[in-house]
Parts: sequence; C-alpha cells; structure tokens
Amino acid sequence: MITTGKFVYEPGEHEAEKSSNSYLMSLIAVIAGLPLPIINLIATLIFYMGNRKGTYFVRWHCMQALLSQFSLLLMNSFGFWWTVSIIFGSESITNNFIAYFITVFIFNMADLIATIYTAIETRKGIHVSWWFYGDLTNLICKP
Amino acid sequence: MKKLFIQALIMVAMFFTVFFVLNQVNWMTIFRVEQLSKTTEEKLGDIFWDLFNKTEKEIKNPKATSPTDSIVSKICISNGIEKSKIKIHIIESSEVNAFLLPNNHLVINSGLILYSENEAELCGVICHELAHMEMNHVMKKLIKEVGLSVLISMTAGNSGSEMIRETAKLLSSTAYDRNLEKEADIKAVDYLLKANINPEPFANFLYKLSENESKIVSRLIWISTHPDSKERAKYIIEYYNNRTQNFQSVLNPETWDKFKEYLNEL
Repeated sequence: MITTGKFVYEPGEHEAEKSSNSYLMSLIAVIAGLPLPIINLIATLIFYMGNRKGTYFVRWHCMQALLSQFSLLLMNSFGFWWTVSIIFGSESITNNFIAYFITVFIFNMADLIATIYTAIETRKGIHVSWWFYGDLTNLICKP
Repeated sequence: MKKLFIQALIMVAMFFTVFFVLNQVNWMTIFRVEQLSKTTEEKLGDIFWDLFNKTEKEIKNPKATSPTDSIVSKICISNGIEKSKIKIHIIESSEVNAFLLPNNHLVINSGLILYSENEAELCGVICHELAHMEMNHVMKKLIKEVGLSVLISMTAGNSGSEMIRETAKLLSSTAYDRNLEKEADIKAVDYLLKANINPEPFANFLYKLSENESKIVSRLIWISTHPDSKERAKYIIEYYNNRTQNFQSVLNPETWDKFKEYLNEL
C-alpha cells in the first residue's frame, strides 16, 4: 500500500522537514479536531496553501497529505452526523451503527499509522508514495 | 487515469467489505446495548411515576383496579402481550386523559373512564395506549423531543427537577407525531378485533370528543393532544368496516355500572 523510492531529485534538508511537517500537521489536527472531522482537512489545506509556492518535493507531499484527508472526511463526517442524530435526534443505536463505527475506526487507524510512517521517512528525505493517493498526487501536482 | 479509477473502486469496495463483514457480528449483544436501554427506560419510568405519584392521587381500591385489570388482561391475552410488565395506575382527576410513561406505566385518569359511555370506548383508548407501548413510541418520542443525552443525565440524577417536570408534562399532555398516532390507532383496532371487542365505540368516542372539544376543551386533554379526531375516527371506521364478527363485552354491565358509580362518588 505504501511504496518508498527516490524522488525525481534529491530533496534538501529544509524540504524534507517541511514535507514531514505536512503529515505531522494532519496528525496534530486529528487529535485537536476530534470529534469534528473537518478540522484536520482545514489544517492540511491551510498548510498546503502556505506551501503552494514551495519546492516540488514539499508541494507533492503537502498534496498527498491533503488528499488522504478527503476520504477520511467523508467517512468521518457520515459517522459524526449519525452519532449526533443518535444523541440528539430520534435515531437509535443499531448493529449497523456499531459496525460502521468500528470500520471507520480501523480506516482511521490505518491512516494514522501510514501518516506517522510517512512523516518519519520524508523527514529522512525518502520519498513515500501511498497507493491511490500517490498516483492521484502525481496527476494533480506537476513539477 | 483508468488505473486511478480502478484503485478508487477497490478502496470503496474494501471499505464496504470491512463494513459488511463487521455487520455480521451481533454487536448489540456483545456491548449489551439493549440491556442498557432497558435499564435507562426502567429508571426513567420510576422517576416520572414518582413525580406523578407525589402530585396526583392514585386510586388503589379494587372496585376501580379490578375492572381495569380485567380489561387490560383480556386485551393482553388475546394479543399475546405480556401483561405482567404493565403497571396500571388509575388517577383521581377530572381531566379526560390517559397516557404512557417509560417502562410500561399506563396511567388512566378517572375522568376518562367516567367520560366513556361503555366499556368498549375505554377498551379502545387502552388499546391505543398499549399499541404505543408495544411499538416503543414513548422512548422514541422522548429521545426525539428531549434527546438521549438529557435522558441519560436524568437517570444519573444530573438533571434538575424542573427539567424532569417539563418532560413528564410532555408525556402526559402532548401527542406523538401524526404517523405514530395513526400507527397506534390501526394497531388498536387490530387489538380490539382480536379481543372480540367492537371497535365502533372507539371511533364514536373520538367523534364525541371532537364534537365537545370546543365546549370543554380544557378538560379534554386526550383529544386536544390527539388532533384531527374526526379524521382518525373516519380511518378507524374504514379500517374495520368490512369485518364482521361476534363481539363480546369484557365486563358484565353491572360491573361496569358499579365501576363508574364508584368513580363518580370520589
């Protein structure tokens, strides 16, 4: 699911740090933004906007961090509003809800582990490309 | 681009596969969700009934409780409803009202019994309330109107007495939504038919109340909280119209008269 390799050029020390920070940003935002799933998306978006004039390596990783938040936003938002309708609305807790909640938790954990790993590797200047998100980033982010 | 599309599809498929597999597990039993909701309902029932018990006078004389018990028993046995879970309370009040509290507390005002011309009318109202009970409308209404978080804080003793009073008032003097009322009416007719009780007096009861509504509205709580009574009476008649069977009475006329006489004297 995750492939490591060489980038089109050798990134410098400051580039590796900034790229690694884009992943750390989404991590911190997840912790701070819970239970509102939109917070981590906004945080990574702000970080991307701040670095959109940065070098290709930095932009590429900011974009990958941002894109990975979109799918999480979708599933987390659905789960969030489902929970709200149970607590404050007329919905009741069902087997579907619990199964959905656990599924979302598993995907969030997978994302969390992948994010931590990528943050560590990019800090070393190693290029990490995620399955699907890496290809999507290649399509959007040009040198 | 095609590769990306396939990857996106695989991701979505992965999500739904995990969800589908996890959905095969009975989490409700593992996390004891139903048991927890039952405990919450039991606690709420006790809290609300304690409140009514303090402010209203409950009639405990067998002259009143026995006939009511006979009616409820007959309906329950005929319809496979567990009678032992129902707590029947007759309250000395001139208001024409009957309502349910959580944990199967069925509260009937003496005013409603006195307003019923025959036992079939009373049976209809009881069936309507039992239908709400069997379809879990009380908790649905409470969660919708008050919210689960407030209800749980009530059971934990973290809510003020004013909040509990307001919620109790909501249960005794406001209707369920239109769909739930219709559902309960139709189910009530089914209960009546299965118990061999004529549903027509129930429809008549609704007509009678709607006609008197403008005159003594303040006393007719049950009808003012159940809107469109004429319409309800109409669909009740339409629903049972084509069925013919030999209807029987639950109480003999003498018991019914003595029952009302006793309540009248209070």
